[in-house]
Amino acid sequence: MITHYKQYPPNVTKVYSYFECRRRNEAQFSEVVFFGLQYLLKKYLAGPVVTEEKIQEAKVFYQLHFRQAVFDEEGWRKILEKYDGRLPIRIKAVPEGKVIPRGNVLFTVENTDPDFFWLTNYIETMLVQMWYPITVATISREFKKILAKHLKATSGSLEGLDFKLHDFGYRGVSSQESAALGGAAHLVNFCSTDTVAGVLMAQRYYGCPMAGFSIPAAEHSTIISWGRHREKEAFESLLDQFPTGCVSVVSDSYDIFNACKHIWGGKLRERVLERGDDSTLVIRPDSGDPAETVIEVIRILEECFGSSVNSVGYKLLPSNLRIIQGDGIDLSSVKEILEKLRDEGWSMENVLFGCGSSLLQKINRDTLNCAFKCSYVESNGKGMDVYKQPITDPSKRSKRGRLSLRRNSDGFIETVEHGVGKPEEDMLVTVFENGSILQDYLLEEIRKNALLWEEEDPNCYQHNRDDLQAGEPLQKHIINGVP
Amino acid sequence: APPVCYSIQVTHYKQYPPNTSKVYSYFECREKKTDSTKDRKVKYDKTVFYGLQYILHKYLKGKVVTPEKIQEAKEVYREHFQDDVFNEKGWNYILEKYDGHLPIEIKAVPEGSVIPRGNVLFTVENTDPECYWLTNWVETILVQIWYPITVATNSREQKKILAKYLMETSGKLEGLEYKLHDFGYRGVSSQETAGIGASAHLVNFKGTDTVAGIGVIKKYYGTKDPVPGFSVPAAEHSTITAWGKDHEKDAFEHIIKQFPSVPVSIVSDSYDIYNACEKIWGEDLRSLIVARSPSAPLVVRPDSGNPLDTVLKVLEILGKKFPLEENNKGYKVLPPYIRVIQGDGVDINTLQEIVEGMKEHRWSIENISFGSGGALLQKLTRDLLNCSFKCSYVVTNGLGVNVFKDPVADPNKRSKKGRLSLHKTPSGDFVTLEEGKGDLEEYGEDLLHTVFRNGTIVKTYSFDEVRENARLKEGELKELLR
Repeated sequence: MITHYKQYPPNVTKVYSYFECRRRNEAQFSEVVFFGLQYLLKKYLAGPVVTEEKIQEAKVFYQLHFRQAVFDEEGWRKILEKYDGRLPIRIKAVPEGKVIPRGNVLFTVENTDPDFFWLTNYIETMLVQMWYPITVATISREFKKILAKHLKATSGSLEGLDFKLHDFGYRGVSSQESAALGGAAHLVNFCSTDTVAGVLMAQRYYGCPMAGFSIPAAEHSTIISWGRHREKEAFESLLDQFPTGCVSVVSDSYDIFNACKHIWGGKLRERVLERGDDSTLVIRPDSGDPAETVIEVIRILEECFGSSVNSVGYKLLPSNLRIIQGDGIDLSSVKEILEKLRDEGWSMENVLFGCGSSLLQKINRDTLNCAFKCSYVESNGKGMDVYKQPITDPSKRSKRGRLSLRRNSDGFIETVEHGVGKPEEDMLVTVFENGSILQDYLLEEIRKNALLWEEEDPNCYQHNRDDLQAGEPLQKHIINGVP
Repeated sequence: APPVCYSIQVTHYKQYPPNTSKVYSYFECREKKTDSTKDRKVKYDKTVFYGLQYILHKYLKGKVVTPEKIQEAKEVYREHFQDDVFNEKGWNYILEKYDGHLPIEIKAVPEGSVIPRGNVLFTVENTDPECYWLTNWVETILVQIWYPITVATNSREQKKILAKYLMETSGKLEGLEYKLHDFGYRGVSSQETAGIGASAHLVNFKGTDTVAGIGVIKKYYGTKDPVPGFSVPAAEHSTITAWGKDHEKDAFEHIIKQFPSVPVSIVSDSYDIYNACEKIWGEDLRSLIVARSPSAPLVVRPDSGNPLDTVLKVLEILGKKFPLEENNKGYKVLPPYIRVIQGDGVDINTLQEIVEGMKEHRWSIENISFGSGGALLQKLTRDLLNCSFKCSYVVTNGLGVNVFKDPVADPNKRSKKGRLSLHKTPSGDFVTLEEGKGDLEEYGEDLLHTVFRNGTIVKTYSFDEVRENARLKEGELKELLR
């Protein structure tokens, strides 16, 4: 980035770039949730970000790093002098929370002052990190689609959907900052989390006082510390310490099946049954094959506690007894578990899920093919549409010219290239200009934007969405109200 | 911000057995004895221990609580749990008795140490019986050490691959430390991750574009050199495409002239990598390239297509346009003023494929360097090395008890028992002693050293020491070349 100011054609006065999640033919995910830009703007780009001190520091540093003087000291000092250190950049973006099909422009960046053409791609690295909150929010929402389908089918409603996928990812993510950002992205779709940093980020950057909730829960250390043969005492103590409200107890320290059958379903059976309706015991397996374990556990619990049938004919454990599966959960295992449960006649109301690395870490920039590319430059007063188009990979082709995003007459969202888009149709909104943030999205509206169509119209019948091809669902989504 | 932790830990002070006065936990990269699920090509038998010092400095040392933070935490957790479960009393105790310093002790292997899987790497215990709950409160932040450990380990495994093929095809290891360049800045999940991950890669290499890593090293480890990592001027697509489709040659010419006396890397696949190599580099601008000194080569960068196929084809084309030499191992080398860097689709598996493919086609690894982004710094999880933090010993009612988990459905998840220590056997192997057996002094001294006690960092490692501990050893190199 540092040396690029020397590489552009002479007399360049504008560099205009954009960000997209490129479309891929056999892609698993056809639409993405736009989220996270406000955090980056507030934390790193707003206000006077260039100071004399930083310029000096950078100058010395880059001399050593490149073993020669390549740092554009003059350029940065001009920003300091002319704009008091504020960045002469304009960023236009899709409103946060909006769900946009792959292959569309999501935000654009351009310099507002001809002297600072090099600034657009200087901030690229930081802006490309948008891949992360976008991908977490998108994957989290894909989970929600699966959960919604099964919940609706086996219970008749979507009640409790927001709490069905709990964020367990804090320890498995690469840093505190990622935990906060990823944790907040999950909270676009759900209200259930152990990643406190995400809750704090949503508070601080998205104006939500408390975006996520949790319940008291055991972990292995608080069970095994009682000793190998005192698992019952450990469990009982938990019931004593948390007599009301929900409590989650990990039960596989030694033998999950024995714990369910002889401790929960045996020695402590009465204690479990006497708990109030809002004082649910949530049993947590944490090893073995996820689907098999859940099925076996629910069978044992049925044996010990009985079951009833809900209004759509699926079985329910007693209302104060539930299971949370928080090990080995990803998009395919959750589907497998739900299908097996359904086949065995169980309602999804009986289970909750926890997800760690699959939600917050097991993703990368290639998951949604996120890319930031230059599409338009101006030099010698003339504008020119630019692009890359490597013969070695057509999917890496980039868009050309100035871009806008609109909903066309058929209801599809599409990107208009070559600068011919009509401003009044443009869904992109200026969010940042010359150091100032111009839009402040609250998590509340972001959540509304990201709702599933089923959530917006709860009376809709269940559709089978699994086998729809890439083009088709867009229309249905749009007509049914998903933005 | 309130004292950092996972929600799950907030209520744990109520869950331990009554009269518990000590909770002792440890961290390891578990061995996976039955890996039937995947046929992993890379075994990761040993791990590089790195990154604890960053966590200690940034999150655990000194005064970590204030009355304001306690109040804020109380409010946040009240809303988060819809109940008053926060251990306000416990935190006030720490504030008053220790002025907000954490009464815990952490013992660890020296940073940079390369240790076989399944061994204890660090232990944590409370030093004040009232604060038994603190050990696992700090678990969340400490478990994030999985990340620098995994980046450093994966980076080092790639160094072994490069060393092997470089030695075999050239007879020397010159330039090894610049053969894998960090391109990962844009592909990580946050700025903080970039810094940590990049620093972990620099344990093994010296080439990086992720400058945040250098900041982490300087601030938390220190080096004798002014900087621990270097880069070269490089083009990216925008600086080529901004000239327009018909002006790729003008773009190339301009950029190569801007940097006459240092290596310059120029991405050449914006439209047609093969045409760029053959016609533009190979003909139109040939005279500019051959005039460059060996210390300032043009580095041609493909960035699309199948990595091995593209590299071989690029080498073939350049080999026709520029005079090749055969080195003393019988492998082809381009003249020193031109090189190739492959920075797309490089992970530990494709790296192996490319260097092997090059060797098969008689190309020396001297011709090439690699860049890796997502695979180096992001495409990693805690499961790769099975990083795990578990309680192994408690003291309740004055009695020490060795504790462990042993889930019936997964023997791999079994944890160690009791107080642990790490030793070297007479034959030089590492062994973890459990159940306090290290006290018997059969195996000599414990390799775990106290690095943190009661809020103070008592032992630090410089980045130079870390690099020294992690370097490829004679024995390893011999093993690789067999």
